[in-house]
Formats: sequence, structure tokens, C-alpha cells
Amino acid sequence: MNTTTTTVPSGNLAAAGSHGAGPMRTAMACELRLLRADAAFWIVLVLMVASVCYGVAAGARHWQSQAALVAAAQADEQKRLSSLRKNFDEVSAGRVTPASPFRDPRSALWVGLTHAATPVAISPGPLAIAAVGLSDLHPSTVKVSARTKDEFLFADEIRNPLHLLAGAVDLAFVLVFVLPLAVLALTYNLVSGEREQGTLALTACTGADLRRVLLAKLLVRAGLPLLVTLVSMTAALTLASSGAAMSWALAGLLLATALYGGCWAALAAAVNSRGHDSAHNALALSAAWIVLVLVVPAAVNTLADTLFAVPSRAEMVLAVRGASVDSDRERDASLARYREEHPQAQPDELQRGSPRERVARRLATVDASASRAQLVVTRHDAQLARRQNLVDGLAYLSPALLMQLATADLAGTGGGAYSAFYARVDQFHAQWRDFFLSRARADQALTAADLTAFPRFLARPAGVDPTTVASRLVGLALLLAVLSLWAWTGLRRSERT
Amino acid sequence: MNTLAGTPLPATSAARSSAAMTVATKEWLELRRDPRGRVLAVLVGLLMLLALVSGALQFERGHGERDAAQAADQTLWRSQGDKDPHGAAHFGQWAFKPPSLLALADPGVDAYSGGAVWMEAHKRNEMQFRPARDAGVSARMGGLTLAFVLQAVLPLVIIVLGFNAFSGERERGTLRQLLGQGTTPWQLAVGKMCALACGLGWLLLPLAALLALCGAWLAEPGQGGQAAARAFGWTAGHALYLAGFVALTVAVSALAPSSRAALVSLLALWLLLSFVAPRVMTEVARSAVPLPSAQDFRERISAERTKTFGHDENHPAFAAYKAELLKQHGVQKVEDLPLNFRGLALRRDDEAGYAIHDRLFGELEWSIDRQDLLRAAPGAVLPLLAMQPWSMALAGTDTRAHRHFAQAAEQHRRVIQTITSDDLIRNARYGDTRYVSPAALWAKVPPFEYAPPSAAWALAGTGPALGGLLLWLLLTGVFAAWSSRRLRAV
Repeated sequence: MNTTTTTVPSGNLAAAGSHGAGPMRTAMACELRLLRADAAFWIVLVLMVASVCYGVAAGARHWQSQAALVAAAQADEQKRLSSLRKNFDEVSAGRVTPASPFRDPRSALWVGLTHAATPVAISPGPLAIAAVGLSDLHPSTVKVSARTKDEFLFADEIRNPLHLLAGAVDLAFVLVFVLPLAVLALTYNLVSGEREQGTLALTACTGADLRRVLLAKLLVRAGLPLLVTLVSMTAALTLASSGAAMSWALAGLLLATALYGGCWAALAAAVNSRGHDSAHNALALSAAWIVLVLVVPAAVNTLADTLFAVPSRAEMVLAVRGASVDSDRERDASLARYREEHPQAQPDELQRGSPRERVARRLATVDASASRAQLVVTRHDAQLARRQNLVDGLAYLSPALLMQLATADLAGTGGGAYSAFYARVDQFHAQWRDFFLSRARADQALTAADLTAFPRFLARPAGVDPTTVASRLVGLALLLAVLSLWAWTGLRRSERT
Repeated sequence: MNTLAGTPLPATSAARSSAAMTVATKEWLELRRDPRGRVLAVLVGLLMLLALVSGALQFERGHGERDAAQAADQTLWRSQGDKDPHGAAHFGQWAFKPPSLLALADPGVDAYSGGAVWMEAHKRNEMQFRPARDAGVSARMGGLTLAFVLQAVLPLVIIVLGFNAFSGERERGTLRQLLGQGTTPWQLAVGKMCALACGLGWLLLPLAALLALCGAWLAEPGQGGQAAARAFGWTAGHALYLAGFVALTVAVSALAPSSRAALVSLLALWLLLSFVAPRVMTEVARSAVPLPSAQDFRERISAERTKTFGHDENHPAFAAYKAELLKQHGVQKVEDLPLNFRGLALRRDDEAGYAIHDRLFGELEWSIDRQDLLRAAPGAVLPLLAMQPWSMALAGTDTRAHRHFAQAAEQHRRVIQTITSDDLIRNARYGDTRYVSPAALWAKVPPFEYAPPSAAWALAGTGPALGGLLLWLLLTGVFAAWSSRRLRAV
């Protein structure tokens, strides 16, 4: 991080000025020559390229393992369906008598509730390997059945919780945490280094516009690591994911990265314009990194947790269980009334414990539980939306938080993508329930044709919400504008003094 | 760290032993007068206070929610009415994990390990509902907690206050004078480290007291002592961790050619130790000891369970058990058995299931433990990897504490199974599919009450972490001694 800070040779600048060539271009060329001789510069570049490649590879590994889990779940489904069809043929031919409705392959209720449950998965978008996002916290597949949502939505994948806490070393981590450090390592002594070596005054004596010269130095020192990052991530993402090269999401990610890197470069210029020494600048910029990358996001999360606490899922569990108990009681009461009023009539479906009565009871429970669960889930989602709105609003306080959100949004692994996925799962769940429960309510057995006509979930790559992404990009651009203005006015003030 | 020039130091050999103390006193005085020290102390104090208050609020909310949920579930269990006891066992109960008291200081893996488990017939379920899943992408950047302040921010404060401990003296030319007065480099280093440690003490001791008081105040009656013990243990671990950073800072300052080089090197080290290393070691542990997928794990359980009969009356094991019982009681038909055969079969199947669950869950837990051990192995040189397990263990928010809860829930599940099967065995007539137990039976199942483990139990699992922290302190101390020997006056 201790970079060479030798100034632009003043003679070159004077010559450039006298020949009418832009001093900025000359200054950039000189700065480039100096940096090429600086080991720290090459170390930073190599580290960035290595980090980007490692991050993309880690993301690709993660999605490969997710794909393997999805394939295993689909294979399991095929196995179950094949066994179901075979069993159906046996029972239909009268060769086997099912021991209970649960084991009857013609039972629309039990097939819909259990045997035919189908795994559905979020389809990763072309940039998914850029950010693990929330994908390690959500199950790789959701096994949709006619049961209430609480019974299948929260079946988590086995993970070491400590690893989830630590987070992944993906491209998002590299961009949000490491890229600013690379930029700051090369720019923290942009002006102070010149001043400490006495070359700032020398440059000023050439008559060149000092701010333009410093801007040229900034463009080279911050621009090069940024450019190397952009090129290496484009190459790595294109190689690792065939669809990434042409996607506009990649263009969005490149733009977000450029704006984010620009924010840190502008901040370094602004701090340098205060006229302190290099040690002070390094300290101030480190403090800024800690505040903007660690403290502000942590404080925003804590504030969101305090004001809009994520509601406990216990409420949903209890609502569903309450519905089940109430439904049982209602059924018992109605059976008792029926027996009282029709002491002679005792049809099978009204005999408690009989197979048909058990099916009818279960059907009533499933219906009652579903409607109560939906009420709680709606309230829960509303609270989560309020929480997310607060985080989205406060994210403008930290470019790091904005970048983290933008990267996940563009990768299709953020909250928005999962909300959209679960909304589709919801629709599919309703379709599934309708297919099986309507037949169960009509006491209609499944037919051979039904077995080939189960509803199917249409896989669709996780979408990117352009409005959300645009708002994050505008936020980064605004922060860049404010910081640039601060740096520009600061440099003008220091030029005068 | 301003100059010590002009401070007369004792010249006799007897008095020289107290030279380090004289240096420490002087350094401490300078630290108190240094505006950087005052500003940082106020900022860190404020951050800690904010973290403590928000932690306490979240603890109160979580505790209230959990108690209400557990009580509501108990009410639901008891209000089932007359019902088939095995149906009730399938309905089961839910166990909701109460937040640990010191979760207000370090929430650990609480958000990532699920807070509830369904205790139902035949199955041992995993913990469900990870709050982190609902908290969004921003939550992956962490929250403002005491652990975050002590583990990430305070090392940086130490670096900011101490990076020029030696290099500053050298740049001002006062180091040569100090050494010329007969003070040894080691005495100087000890003095400077003591001053920084003293500053830390002023932050940590009130924090420990505040945390203990907070814990004692929020604790259930009779648990105040445990909370205080955990609070002091938690703070003591952080003291070891931070003391290592004090030694490291002074050592690097002694070796670095300039203050700037010292600062930049220390910042790079801090980033490496605090942010890069934990994630990289996590990847290493994950690759070295892979965990089974949930589907594989369930399939393994399922495959093992096919060896037992469950509800399958055509299973060979079922027929064998039936024959064994008939022979044992000397009867020809199950209807002639003195006890209900369905209940007996359920009990036999449950017992077979317990052994399978114990073995397979044990294997899974062993793999997770191996991953955690591997991750914590370089704790002596990457101290956060030792600090985190210590902090979470004392806070009661580590994987081991979660496992303690899950095992308590599993024991309770077995109690439910035993009581409901017993009722069938003793009271139902074989073949009577309409048998229902009276509602009074549900009250015989005791409510799930979880007693959190003691501080001593938590400490018993922290051997590697404590070893890592002690070794970290030893290594950085040796590094400080070595670099003070190589101290150059100019």
C-alpha cells in the first residue's frame, strides 16, 4: 500500500503546456510511467485480478452445488412418480389392495399432500455466480404439495450456521469490501505524497492547472485498478457463465462497479484536499472505510431490526395448529349433531376413525389451516416490506450498502428475486391444491389420465427489477457527484492556499 | 504517544526494574491528554452503549415472543379434546428456543440456525425458521453488536493509538535520548503496552460490570449469577484478544521504518485478520469436510427406517415382532394379548427410531464440529477465528448451545411418544379404530421447559478457542520482545 508518490516531471508539463498539448494527458502518461515502476501498484492489480477470479469461481462452485441439489430433488421426484404409477396400475388391476387411504395411489388427497409433491427451484439468472446473496439461506428446492405453506416453505438445507454467519467470498464480497481498499491503497497519498516530497510546489510552478494534474493522477491511480477489475470480472463471468456476456445485467454490474469505485476515488481526493499528511489521510480513509462499509450497514440493520423487527414465524405455526384443533372440534361437533339428529343413519364417512371420515377430516383441516396461514403470511410479508423500505431508504448513507444491494439485485439473488419467486410458488401452490383438493372434495379418485396431468412449475430465470436496480445506480451516481464536488472544491481551496 | 524526552529515569539497577512502570505512567498520562484518545474513547463508548441498548431491546422482544409462543403451543396441545393418542403424537408440540441472555452482546449464529423445532411422532426434525432468511441481503453485512465493536472496531482503535509508539519517538529523535538514559527497549515496549492496556481496561472493566448487571437484571430469578459469570468470562476472552493486538501494534511500530509504514502495515494486518481470513478459512473448512445435503440426510434416515416397520403391517419386522409377542405371552392372536398390540408396536418402532436418529444426527454433528475445529485451528495467528467461538460460547449463541436445545427438545419428544403410546397400550382395545384418549391425557405430558446450560458447561467446550487466544497473546508478546531487541534508535 506504500505507493510511490513522485510527481509528474515538471519539465514535461511545462513542455506540454507550451506545445498546446493537454497537461492532463501528459500528466496521465507520466503518472502511468511512475506507477509501472512501483511494486505496490502491481501487487494491487494482481490481488484484484486474483480476488475477482476467486470470487467468481466461488460463486460458480456454489451454483454448481445448488444445481446438483436441484437435480437430486428432481430425480427423487421422478422415482416417486414412477413408483406411484406402478402402484396405481397394480391397484387399478386389483392385484393389490391399499392398506389405508394414505397408501392408495388413487387418493387425490394423499397423492396431492405427499406422494406427488414436486420440487420447484429458483432458476439462477445469468449473473447469479456474481453474488451468493440469499441463495445459501433459502432451500435449493421447495417441495410444493397440497399441504399448508408452512409445511414446505421452511424446510432448510443443511448448512453449518457458522459458515452462514461468516458469509461467502464471492464477487460481491470482492467488489464491496476489497475494491475500495485497492483504490484507497493507490490514492491515499495522491496530494499529500507530492507535498511531502516537495514536488507539489514544483508542479504548481510549471503554470499547469494543478487540479487538472491531480485529476489526471487520480484517473490513473484509481482508474487502472478499476479498469482491471472491470475487465477481469467481465472475462471471468463470461467464461464461468455462458449467458453473462450478453446480458444487460452485466452492463448494470459494470456500471455499478465503476460508480462505486469512483465514489472511493472521489473520497480519497476529498480527504487529500484537506491538506493533511499521508499518515493522517491513510487513517482518515481507513476510518471512512470502516464507517461506510462496516458501521453504517450494521447500524442500518440494527435500526431496521429495532423499528421493524422481523416477526417470528412462530405466529404462523401457531395459527395453523390452532386451525387444525378448531377444525377437529368443529368436525366432532357436527358429527355429534348429525348422530343426534339421524340416529339411524351412520354412513361410513361419518364414522369417526373410518378411512373415509379420516380423509374428510384431513381435508377440512387442510382448508382451515391454509386460510389462517395466509392471513399470517400476508401480515408477515407486509412487515418485511416495511423493513426493506427502511433499509432501501437508509442505504443511500453508505455506498457499500448500495453496492451490496445492487449486486444481489443484478445477480437475481436478492430479496426482490426471492419475493418474486415465492409469489410464483404461491400461484403454483394454489393451482396444485385446486387440482388435487377439488377431486378430493368431490370424492373423486385419480385416473390414469390425471397421473400424467399434474400441474408443472414453469422454471423462469430470476428476474431483475429494472426500477430497483436503477434506483441503486442513481444512488451511487449521486454519492459520486457529491463526493466529486467536495473533492473539486477542496482541491481548488488548497490550490489557492 | 508523545515524547518521553526529559523524563529522568532511575539509573540504579534496583530502580531500573521500575523503569517500565515509569514509562507506562508517562505514556498513560500522554494518552489521556491525547485528543485522539479522548475522541476515540467517547466514540467507542457510544457505539458500545448503542449496541448494548439495541441488544437488550432485541433480547426483551425475542424473549417475550418466545414465551408467548411456547405458552400458546401448550394451550393448543391441551385443548385437543378427545383424540386418538397417536394422532396427538403426530400433532406433537413445538419447542421455541429462548434467546440466551448474552445474545445481547453477541447474537452469534442465532439468526442462522433456526429457533424452533417440531416434536412429532416418528421423526426427529431439524431446527427451522432462520431469521436471517427474512432479514434480507443487507443483514449479511452484520449488525451493530458489542461483539462487533470489540472484535472489529477496538483492534483498530488500538492500532490508531499505538501505531507510532516507537516510530513516532524515532522520527522525533527522542528514542535515542530515551535509550541513552539507560532504559532498555523491552522496558519501553512493556511501558507502552501497559499504557495501551490500561486504556483498554478503562473500557472493558465498566463494560464487564454493565454487561453483568444487565444480564443479572434481565435473567430469570436465580440465573443472575450465571449471567454475571458469563459476562466476565466473555469480557476476559476479549481482553486476551485485544491484549494481543496491543503487543502486535507495539511490535510493528518498533520494526517499521516510519510511522506511515507502521500504520499501513497494521491496517493491512487488521483487514487480513478480521475480514479476509475468517471467510477464507470458512471456505477451507467447507471444502475439507463436506456436509450431506438435506435430501441425502433424510434419505439415509429413511433407508435406515425401512429396517423398522413404522405403520407398515406387511413389514417382515412387524410380523417378527408380532410373533415374538405372541410367543412371549403364550397366546395365538393379538386380540388375546393383555396389552394393546398397536401401542406396543408403536413403542417398539419409536425405540428403534431413537437409535437411528441418535446415530445419524450424531454423525452430522460430528462433521459440523470438525468443520468448526478446522476453521478455528489457526486461531493463534488469526485470532478472530479463536475469538468468535469463545465469544459465542460464553454468550450461549454458538452451535453447541443450539445443539443443547435441540437435544432437550428431542428428549421431550420422546416423553410425548412414551406417554401417548402408553395410553394406547394400557387402555385401547386391539382393532378399535375409534379409540380416543380423554382430554385429561394431554395434561399428563409436562410442558416443554428448557433450562439453559450453565457457564461451566459453556466453558467446557471452549478449550481450543481459549488455547488459541492464549497462544495468540504469547506469540504477539514474543513478537513484541523480539522486535524491541531489533529496535533502531534512528
